[in-house]
Amino acid sequence: MNISHRVVQQNHLRRDVTSEANIIQRITKSAEEYLAPDGKQYRVITQKAVTSIADAENVSPLEVQVKALKQGIVPWRYLRNMGTIGPDGQVKLLQSAVAVVGAGGLGGTTIELLARQGVGHILIIDNDRFTEQNLNRQIMCTEMNLGEHKALVAARRVNQINSDIKVTALVKKLTQENAIALLKGAAIVVDGLDNLPSRIIVEKACRKLGIPFIYGTIAGFSGQMMTIYPEDKGLASIFGPNGSYPDQGIEMKIGTPSATPAMVAAWQVQEVIKIITGVGRPLRNHILLLDAIEGAIDKIELGGGE
Amino acid sequence: MAIITVRFYSLWRQYLGIDSTALEANNIEDALAKIEDEFGARLREQLKIDGIQADGKLQDYSLILLNGTSLRNLQQKDLKDGDVLQIFPPASGG
Repeated sequence: MNISHRVVQQNHLRRDVTSEANIIQRITKSAEEYLAPDGKQYRVITQKAVTSIADAENVSPLEVQVKALKQGIVPWRYLRNMGTIGPDGQVKLLQSAVAVVGAGGLGGTTIELLARQGVGHILIIDNDRFTEQNLNRQIMCTEMNLGEHKALVAARRVNQINSDIKVTALVKKLTQENAIALLKGAAIVVDGLDNLPSRIIVEKACRKLGIPFIYGTIAGFSGQMMTIYPEDKGLASIFGPNGSYPDQGIEMKIGTPSATPAMVAAWQVQEVIKIITGVGRPLRNHILLLDAIEGAIDKIELGGGE
Repeated sequence: MAIITVRFYSLWRQYLGIDSTALEANNIEDALAKIEDEFGARLREQLKIDGIQADGKLQDYSLILLNGTSLRNLQQKDLKDGDVLQIFPPASGG
């Protein structure tokens, strides 16, 4: 490195430090005191202030939120997340990318909740379009967007809920050939698929990428869920080594009522939050069977006695 | 002869109206035959009411685990007292 290069680099560094200090100063100045009903005192910052600082300092609002949280100043929109995951957990979420494969029943609700929770980058993969029969259970589907691509509609919804986070919508069918390329960069992949062969492809890709896969599936008033880490036996632990069960399960005949996808997607999202923030224990090597008819939730430990 | 517990989950529990039963069996094949004899026809009848034609035996369209291990992954087919067979339907909706 010659002298002029070094001087340029030092100048950049100085500007970065100044900018960082300016941002923090602005954040601190904009912070307000808030006494929560539980008596806890918070320092909070409004969405308007975040946007204004981001514009003035030419950084993203998400970057401002992260810096604020690191100062113990909570963006209002995440205040109700603090009691469970705290500022550190929120920063981890804001700095994470989560892929959702399939933007129908499970995927739609998952995307909605991830956006509200404040996951920094949501990647949506789906090549399907909304039809009338999706209206009963797919939260992103409305009478106004019938015929539109699910991934694009979901991305618009994310922007409406949380314009500070990044959303990438891919109108593509995930295949054996493109799975790794499409999912690369994600910290976790959430299952919003509707057939076993595709799930096996995604599980395999997640193993290769070294990231967890949150399996979920529904039929009638019931659903199943499991968190699969790369080293876990995963789908083979319930379907056997070949995964040779039919492409479609019984839900194709009995259908799926409105609340079932939301029931399972909610559990899937809890797993995402837990894994990224380090709160709680992920539901690994167990299958969760949710049965709304009987009002029962069963958790079966997998792999015992092998 | 081992005394084992058979547990039904999810839709199977709903259709059969029971969540568990005790069974005496020599090995897994024997247990599956007894389960099919006792519950197979009833389950298919209930499925038919919901418009689902299930072909074959109960074990052909169910996911079955022995103490948490899929029968498809099991090497050992013998049973011992206290073993639990867990039976539930596959689902693939999203």
